[in-house]
Amino acid sequence: MTECLLEAKGVTKSYDDGRIQALRGVDVQIKAGEFVAISGPSGSGKSTLLHLLGGLDLPTGGEIRFKGTSLANSFDLDQFRSRRIGFVFQSFHLLPTLRALENVQIPMFEGKLGIHQRRDKAEALLREMGLEHRLHQYPNQLSAGERQRVAIARSLANDPEILLADEPTGNLDSENSVKIMVILERIQKQRNMALIIVTHEEEIARSALRNIHIRDGRISSQ
Amino acid sequence: MTLLSIALRNILRRRLRTALTLCGVAVGIAAFVALVGFSKSFEKEWLKIYQSSGTDLAVVQKTFLNTSVDESAGDKIRTVPEVADAVPMVLNLMDLTPEVNALVYGFPETSFELDSLKILQGRRFHDDAPEVMLGEILADNLGKKVGDPLDIEGRSFLVVAVFRGGSALETGGALMPIRQLQNLADLGRKATAFHVRLKPAPAGVSTDEYVQKARRDIEAALPGLKAVPAGERASNNQLVVLARSTAWGTSFIALFVGALGIANTMAMSVFERTKDIGVLRALGWKRWRIMKLILIESGILGLFGGVLGLAGGWVALRVLASLPVTASLASANIPLSHAAEALSIAILIGLAAGFIPAYRGARLSPVEALRHD
Repeated sequence: MTECLLEAKGVTKSYDDGRIQALRGVDVQIKAGEFVAISGPSGSGKSTLLHLLGGLDLPTGGEIRFKGTSLANSFDLDQFRSRRIGFVFQSFHLLPTLRALENVQIPMFEGKLGIHQRRDKAEALLREMGLEHRLHQYPNQLSAGERQRVAIARSLANDPEILLADEPTGNLDSENSVKIMVILERIQKQRNMALIIVTHEEEIARSALRNIHIRDGRISSQ
Repeated sequence: MTLLSIALRNILRRRLRTALTLCGVAVGIAAFVALVGFSKSFEKEWLKIYQSSGTDLAVVQKTFLNTSVDESAGDKIRTVPEVADAVPMVLNLMDLTPEVNALVYGFPETSFELDSLKILQGRRFHDDAPEVMLGEILADNLGKKVGDPLDIEGRSFLVVAVFRGGSALETGGALMPIRQLQNLADLGRKATAFHVRLKPAPAGVSTDEYVQKARRDIEAALPGLKAVPAGERASNNQLVVLARSTAWGTSFIALFVGALGIANTMAMSVFERTKDIGVLRALGWKRWRIMKLILIESGILGLFGGVLGLAGGWVALRVLASLPVTASLASANIPLSHAAEALSIAILIGLAAGFIPAYRGARLSPVEALRHD
């Protein structure tokens, strides 16, 4: 049986002193190498769940476990995000003052690589994304599709076991959306990573091996 | 790519704001370099007077403001076994012309203080004559030479010598018989201080011990007066203390304003980059690394502001060194230690001013920061 890599157990998340209930008792299990889509309407709590699974935030109730160990008790969350998780965001979130090659190196500051190794690895990742001709461009000199490919290269910088993508095609046209999904699925298979994509696009949800549908902070189907 | 290069890019993101911030720091550091440098130079020149004349101790009143000592104290000082000679002196700052003021020293004609002066033209003054000796810088500023008359406070004096002293305070000043200066300043028979030259220390007694013993003996013989070593007198006399206090006070205000500029810039910068900081946190950067990045940025602002300020301070000192009024006191050279002090202060100001923005930046929650618009 494939190992359960990441697990949400009875997770609740509330804001504003409990007045807003974003998640209401969510149970999810993600296995190593699995491609999972989390879908649902806007405000359903899917991004909140992704943030909790990625250690960006802690649940109000319940727990998130990585390989059976609770994130809240046993992990340095900064280290967890840096070494285990790769993030891809809808708005790319590249640092505007850094070139593509430099943006990819950012997560590696928390690793043990030296300056030259960081640079070489970032260059290799950008080449893998087909961006060898755009290494020295700033984000504002890149197209939206190129920016998302730089962001994907950055998410792979520390060889994570899990890739979390929050609406990765949300700011892209259909042609670039297809390209990005092809890349994400390819690297998921090549690296045998768990890929969790938050989306409200039915087509992307259908392409995943498993689709977790959320409505009003509860899982309606999975 | 290093943390330093990221910090530099962030600083250059808003060039006008960075330039204005650097100007603020530079003004503070320039004020520090020029004013404190000026006061240090003043203190150094003061010490040179004592060193060149061989004065070991100055005997003054214990009170801070009124340092006049009755001339009769001289006889008692000379009876102290360690004392080789003791001469009264009067010091005054006088307007010699509407544009030029100078330190005027009054000594007896036979004072050992005059032995160290190099008389370039003329001769030493005579005790009872209305005569004045001008330092060469002062003579140049006044356009006077030997044989010329010089009006001081409505009385006419004859310039009898142009000399070069061991200190710019002497070379930029004037010497006259102590009686003449006492009359001019309406001091009666009061002196500003007695300058004391000690006999050589006996074999087996260190100089320090010997000086301390001389101090104790003089103070025992003259209750109400104190004997101060020359070095201490140079750094603690009223003029030097006033110059130092003014310099540090003014510099502090200017440096504080510069620090506020950096704090404001860094606070704005952190606010504008809230989302970027959220990204860094999301990608696993630890709080201390975020803090370090922001502190490097503020430290760089301090350092570059400091370098600009050093240049500005050097220009200010050059200007002071070229003005007739301050030429004798200001040196256009900035000692390495003073430059290092100025740069250290600049960097410390940068780090201190950046601390709160850095702390706030590091405390941001990644999720909240990523949502920031």
